[in-house]
Amino acid sequence: MAPILEIRSVVKRFGGVAAVNGVSLALEPGRIYGLIGPNGSGKTTLFNCITGVDQADEGEILFKGWRIDGLRPHQIFHLGMGRTFQVIRVFPELTALENLLVVTTAGYAAAERRARELLALVKLERLAGEFAGNLSYGQQKLVEFIRVLMTDPEMILLDEPAAGVNRTLLNELLDAVRRLRDQGKTVLLVEHDMKVVMGLCETVFVLDHGEKLAEGAPGVIQADERVIEAYFGR
Amino acid sequence: MKRWFPVGLVVLAVGLALYPLQATGYGVRVMLQLFMWIALAQSWNLISGLTGYVSFGHVVFFGTGAYAASILIVTLGWAWPLACLGGGVVAAALAFLIGWPCLRLKGPYFAIATLGLNEVMRVVVSYYEGLTGGGNGLSLPTLHASVEIYYAMGLVAAVVTAVTYVIVTSRFGLRLMTIREDEVAAEAMGIDTLRYKLYAFLLSAAAPGIVGGLSARDQGYIEPLSVFPLIMTITMIVMALFGGKGTIWGPVLGAAVLFAFQEVVWARFIYLHQLLFGAIIVGVVLLMPRGILGVLQQKYNLPRTI
Amino acid sequence: MGVLITPSMIGQVVISGLLAGSLYAMVALGLGLIFGVMRVLNVAHGPLLMMGAYTTFWLFHWIGLNPYLSLLVSMPLLFLVGVALQRFLVRRVVDAPELSSLLLTFGVSIALVNLAQLAFTSDLRSVEYLTGSFVVAPFALSKPRLATCGFAIAITLGAFVFLRSTRLGKAIRAVSQSREVAQVCGIDVQRIHLITFGLGSALAAAGGSLVAVMVAIQPEMGQVYTFKSFLVIVLGGAGNYPGALLGGLLLGLVEQLASLFLTSQVNEAVAYVLLVIVLLIRPTGLLKGRV
Repeated sequence: MAPILEIRSVVKRFGGVAAVNGVSLALEPGRIYGLIGPNGSGKTTLFNCITGVDQADEGEILFKGWRIDGLRPHQIFHLGMGRTFQVIRVFPELTALENLLVVTTAGYAAAERRARELLALVKLERLAGEFAGNLSYGQQKLVEFIRVLMTDPEMILLDEPAAGVNRTLLNELLDAVRRLRDQGKTVLLVEHDMKVVMGLCETVFVLDHGEKLAEGAPGVIQADERVIEAYFGR
Repeated sequence: MKRWFPVGLVVLAVGLALYPLQATGYGVRVMLQLFMWIALAQSWNLISGLTGYVSFGHVVFFGTGAYAASILIVTLGWAWPLACLGGGVVAAALAFLIGWPCLRLKGPYFAIATLGLNEVMRVVVSYYEGLTGGGNGLSLPTLHASVEIYYAMGLVAAVVTAVTYVIVTSRFGLRLMTIREDEVAAEAMGIDTLRYKLYAFLLSAAAPGIVGGLSARDQGYIEPLSVFPLIMTITMIVMALFGGKGTIWGPVLGAAVLFAFQEVVWARFIYLHQLLFGAIIVGVVLLMPRGILGVLQQKYNLPRTI
Repeated sequence: MGVLITPSMIGQVVISGLLAGSLYAMVALGLGLIFGVMRVLNVAHGPLLMMGAYTTFWLFHWIGLNPYLSLLVSMPLLFLVGVALQRFLVRRVVDAPELSSLLLTFGVSIALVNLAQLAFTSDLRSVEYLTGSFVVAPFALSKPRLATCGFAIAITLGAFVFLRSTRLGKAIRAVSQSREVAQVCGIDVQRIHLITFGLGSALAAAGGSLVAVMVAIQPEMGQVYTFKSFLVIVLGGAGNYPGALLGGLLLGLVEQLASLFLTSQVNEAVAYVLLVIVLLIRPTGLLKGRV
C-alpha cells in the first residue's frame, strides 16, 4: 500500500543549528504512529514542517502522493490533514460551538449538525454556547480535539495529547483515537508519556538531535539500547 | 429590552432624517461630521477591531478618496455622488494593492507599514501638482449641498454599521475574529487568513474613501495636510476603542461621545483641547482598553450583537 | 532633468549621506533599544529629541553654553524624563499588543508637543554657532554636519561599548533577547526597563542637541525623526543594535542619492517605499533581527 505520508530527508535549520537533520519517515494509512525523543530532538519542528507552520530547508514531504512542503497550513488542512497543538489553541472569545463552526465551509445547517454531533460525542453538548476561554483545561483539550474532526480528515497529527490531562479524560481520548484508526484514519502523535505511546501506537519513530534514531514496534523500541542511551545518557 | 431597541433605532433614524428641516446650516454641518466620524471609526473597527491588525495609517483611505473624488469632479466633471463612490472604489483598490503584501507582516510591522503608506500618499499627492494642485490644494466648484451631503454621510454611516452587524453575526466574521484570537491556529484549521484579512481590509477602506469624497465636496477645498493627518487616524482609533472595538455599536458610541466632547471643548478651550485629548488617549489605553461596550459585554455576558 | 552626474557629485552625496546617516543611526538606536527590550513602539521619540534641542537652545540663549557641551546637560536630563515616563506610564504597556504602546506614546507625544507650544510658542528658534564648510576639493564638508557626525559616532560607539562590555549593558541585551531567561538569571527586569527607556530618551536628546545647530527648532520638529527612526529599526532589524547603525547609514545614503534624481519632497516617499520593500523581502530586517 502506498504510504499516506512520506518524509524524505527533511532538514530544518534555525540559525546555525539543524533542528531536523535529514529525517526520512514513511507512514502507512490506517495506523497509529508515535514520534518520540528526548527534549530538543526535533519532534515539534518536524511536526511544524509537516503541517506547514515552518518551511523545511531541504527535503520533501508528500501527503497522499502530493508534495506539501511549501504549502501553507490552511492548504494542507484542506488536503485532509488536521492537527492539534501542544499548548491548547482554542479561540477563547468564541463559543465552543463557534470554535467548531469556523472550520468548515459547508452549509451552516450541516456544519451546525456535525458540530453538535461531535460535542455530544465528548459529552460537551451543554457547553456549546460557552466561551471556549471559560472552559476547563480538559474541556478545552476536548474541544480542540473534536475541532480537528469537523472536516473528517484522513490524517490527524496530535501534539502531546496527554499533556496535563487526567487519567479518565486521557482514556477517553485514547479510545477516541483507536476508533479513528478503526475508521481508516491515520494518526501520528508526538508524546512524552511513554505509557501512552507504548499502549496506543503500532509503530514508533525515535528522534534524537534531529535525526531518526530508531523505528519499530513499541516493544522493540523500548528494548533498543540506543534509545535508552538517548533518553538516559551514557 | 430586545424589542424596544429596533423601535428606538427607527425613531432615531426618523428624527435624524427630519433634523435638517429645522436645524441651522451650522447644525447640519456638525451632524454631518458626526456621521463621518461614525463611518470612520466603524471602518477601522472592521479591520483592526475584528482581525486585530492595527491599521495605523487608516486616514490614507480618507485622503485618497477625497482626492480621487475631487479630481473626478474637477477634471472629469462627474456629479458628486458618483465621484464619491469613485473615491470609495479607488480607496478599496489601494487597500488591495497595499494589503496584498503588507498583511503578511506581523503586528508592529504592519502598523508601521500602514503609517508609512499614509506618508507616501501624502507626498505622492503633493508631487503630482498638475492633477492635485500639490501643496496649494485643490478647490472644487462652489456648491451648497450640505443637506444632501448630510443625508449621504448618514447613509454611509448606517450602511457601515449594518455591514458590521452582518459580518459579526456571520461565519465570515467569526473567521476574522479567529485571526485576532490565534492566527496560527486559524491557519491550521483551514482558514486562508491572508484572503480574509484582505477582504476585511478592502471593506474597511471603502467607507473612508466615500466619506473622504463627501467631506471634500462639503468643504469645497482640500490639501495634503488636511486629508492625511495622523491625528485623524488616532481619533478614529480612540473613538472605536472608547466605545468598544470589536463590537457593533461601540464605534458609534465612541464617535458620538468623543465628537460631542471635541465640539464642546475645542470651541472654548482650544489649547487645552489638545492636551486633554492626549490625556483621553492615555486614559483609554490604560484604563479601558476594552471600551465601554467591551467591558459591559464581558461583565454581563452580553451577546456579540452589541 | 538633463543634468550630468559626475563622480564627484556622487562622492559628495555619499559623504553627505554618511554624515546625515550617523545622526539617524544614533537616534534610531535609542528607539531600537526601547523596542528591542520592551516591544514598545515609542511614538514620543521625536518629541524627546525636540526637548533635547530646546534644552540646548535655552542654555545657549541664557548662558551662552557651547551647544556641544550642552549634551552633558540634555542627555542626563532627558534620561531622567525617560525614566519617569517609563515608571508612570509606559510600564503599563510593555509587552502589550502594539496598539496600546502606539496610542499611549502618541498621547505622550501630543502632551509633550503641546507643553512645548505653551511654554515656548511655535516661533522658530535657532542656535547660531557653527556655520560654513571645510572645502576638501572637490567636496564641501559642512562644519555643523561634520561636528554632528563626529559626536553622533562617538556617542553611538560609546553606547555599543556600554552594551557589549558593561554588566548593565549585557543585562540590557539579555532582557532584549529573552525576558524570562534574564529574570531567572537574577536580572531585575523592571530596573532594566527604566534604564533602557532613559537611555533611549537620552540618545534622542543627543540627536536634538546636535541638530539644534543646523535646523529650525520648533515644537513639531521631532515628528520626522520618529518616522525615520521607525524606518531604521525596520531596515536594521528589531533588537539588532548594530543593524540600527547600518540602517541609519543606509537611510542617510538613500535619501541623499534620491535627492540627486528627485525633488526633495519625494525623498521622504523614497524612504518609505524602501521601508515597505524591505519589510516584504525580509520582515526581520536587513540583518538578522527578531520578529
